[in-house]
Amino acid sequence: MAEDIKTEGSSDTSHLYDGKTIRSSAPSRKKAAGRLKSSTDIPKDAIPEIHVPSWIESFFGGPIVSSMKFLPANNTVSTLQMASAGILLLLSFLTYIITPVSGTAWFSIANLIGIPIIAGIFHLLILAAGAIGGMYGIFQRDQRALLVSYVMLLLITLRFAGSKVEFGLNLLPENEIAQKFLLILYALFLVMYFELTSGIIRFSMLDTSIRTGEVYVMGEGKIISQYHRSIGITPIIAGAVALLTLLINRIIPALVGIFDEVAASRLEESVELTSVYGVALGTAIVFTVIATAFAVNLPMRIQNMREGQE
Amino acid sequence: MAWSRKSAMFAALAIALYLLGLVLRNQQLVTVAVVLLSFLTYAAFRTTHADVASSGRRIEDAESDVGIQLQSIVAMRKLSSARVFEDGEIDVVLRIQNRSTLSKVLEVRDRVPEVMRIKKGANYVLMELGGRKETEISYTIEAPLRGFYTIGPVCVRVQDAFGLFHNEREIHLYDDFLVFPKMEDIKDALIKSRVPKIFTGAVNIRNPGEGSNFYNLREYIPGDPMKKMNWKAWARSGKMMVNEYERDAVSDIILIIDSRSVSETGPVSRNSLVYSTRAAASLAQYFLSRRDSVGLVTYGDEIVSVDRDTGKKQLYVILTKLAGAMAKGNTPLKVVTNRILPHINRGSPIIIMSPLEDDPTIIDAIRDLRARNFDVTVLSPSSLEFEFDARRLDRTGYEVLKTERDILISELRGLGANVMDWEPGMMLSTALAGARGF
Repeated sequence: MAEDIKTEGSSDTSHLYDGKTIRSSAPSRKKAAGRLKSSTDIPKDAIPEIHVPSWIESFFGGPIVSSMKFLPANNTVSTLQMASAGILLLLSFLTYIITPVSGTAWFSIANLIGIPIIAGIFHLLILAAGAIGGMYGIFQRDQRALLVSYVMLLLITLRFAGSKVEFGLNLLPENEIAQKFLLILYALFLVMYFELTSGIIRFSMLDTSIRTGEVYVMGEGKIISQYHRSIGITPIIAGAVALLTLLINRIIPALVGIFDEVAASRLEESVELTSVYGVALGTAIVFTVIATAFAVNLPMRIQNMREGQE
Repeated sequence: MAWSRKSAMFAALAIALYLLGLVLRNQQLVTVAVVLLSFLTYAAFRTTHADVASSGRRIEDAESDVGIQLQSIVAMRKLSSARVFEDGEIDVVLRIQNRSTLSKVLEVRDRVPEVMRIKKGANYVLMELGGRKETEISYTIEAPLRGFYTIGPVCVRVQDAFGLFHNEREIHLYDDFLVFPKMEDIKDALIKSRVPKIFTGAVNIRNPGEGSNFYNLREYIPGDPMKKMNWKAWARSGKMMVNEYERDAVSDIILIIDSRSVSETGPVSRNSLVYSTRAAASLAQYFLSRRDSVGLVTYGDEIVSVDRDTGKKQLYVILTKLAGAMAKGNTPLKVVTNRILPHINRGSPIIIMSPLEDDPTIIDAIRDLRARNFDVTVLSPSSLEFEFDARRLDRTGYEVLKTERDILISELRGLGANVMDWEPGMMLSTALAGARGF
């Protein structure tokens, strides 16, 4: 009967609402009259505690944003930190050797004021700021320092250049393909630096969320190995696509050469095709092919085929 | 496929570098842009593979997903109970099936009502789910506040390894549950109190009905059960006579709850309405366990009543109504009493649970009830105390309002009502004993 119904647990549940939404009905006139001051401020306890991720957090962290400071780095994060540091060192070196000071804004200004050495110093300072900021950001897991590092490493490349590739050091290869390989290697290191450092923040957030019980992870090892696999595969694919784009001045003459050797040799010597505009043409061609693949819903079709396999 | 902020920024950066590269005739910038674009394109290509679809209990929702080609992720949920009392716990088991042959990395979030607290486990899981496999997510929620609640939908998200793109679906799987107001056992407390019972117990009323005590004899009417036949009376009078019995139930007990918007003044878990519903639940349980007949009236923006009845079923009917009581409107008590008075037996005990605020008709209404000889008890959870405790009311304002409230209570007592100024820390049994002990 009715006596069978029992209540459970403690009687006071107010602790569950500490700092949470407090609702109040319209204040009575009697109460309002009884108050000494008639402030219309919203009481502090009426504002629920919601952690709205900042744009930096959402840039680095994606959907899982921990509401607290990072806990000490776990193995995954430490590995990513070491990899990022290594990539940053190589990237800084590559940036130094392939980015001459000539053509930069500070080079022009230094020449204008008649002290050209300032340009070199400023150039090195930007690079150092990028490298040091990056190192600090990597090991302190400081998102702002990482962003500063990104900006510095991009800023240093902003220079007016000739149509041909120029390097900061004269020791580098003259061979066109080798030069383009070097450029792609640089670009890949830069993109991987962006990705690995954002991975540090993302996995730190995830690890903190796991350890604080905000999220539970099943098959963590497999998820991390999938990330590692992607880190290995994606640069190769991206590099290959970029290589196709950059070598368009070789590919087009080779294709034309099947039909007309004279036209092919003229194309090979074309200044436009070997310049940055040739790269633009290559980009247009390659990405038209990719866009077509998306337009015909190729990814979905491949997925359907794979899902259909027993 | 949705873009994350990261992918959008990468894309914007790539385009900017590309255009700058063309303007500055800088192959280095163009190369970086091309690599970035290739990186994004490959991630997008991979993410489009990782589409998910859903199926759930609500067929109309599942049908709306027909356009989605991959119906591979299925969710099923099981609750340990669909009805709990406040502070009770519900175990939730969510089963996720991957009906595709491909392994997937999924983020699964089972949406629980905001006021619920996850006591054990997690409702947010990141998992790698192999092809043709299923897994179970278990968690326990604590239900601290009465009401009707729904768990669901299940949000499933698949994203690429770099967090650039994601696909998201809501599996429209919903489970409803009910949280009854917490009940306090008032029986023992009342026995131990100075006033043993608030009412004198199951007092028989002088009306024939289904009961155990003899009431009178009457002539047999076709249809009367043979077990009621009084054989001796038949032999004595020569007419077929049957026994009649008294109804066992006491006069009906009516619980009236003030659920006007003013009754929710104070914190969510500590306000007049919360206290009133808990008190009503406890009283209903107490009286129904004595085989009394209990009716319930709640008034806010409208008057909702549960007709008088007895038994366990009636308790659940009342508890369900109490669980759904919402603070709305401003119907005066006088309107309520005018509406219900013709329908209740004269002399029935009436227990009113109200903060006694913002209603100029209270005195009139109670005077009417007393004039008709109803036994009126008023339990008044003091919203002043709730507000004062929450530091929303300063000392002077509190004192002024408290004095006004005391005057009103004295006036009501003067009309012969038993009134208790129920302070937040006071147990219900104490409040009731106090109400009847004056």
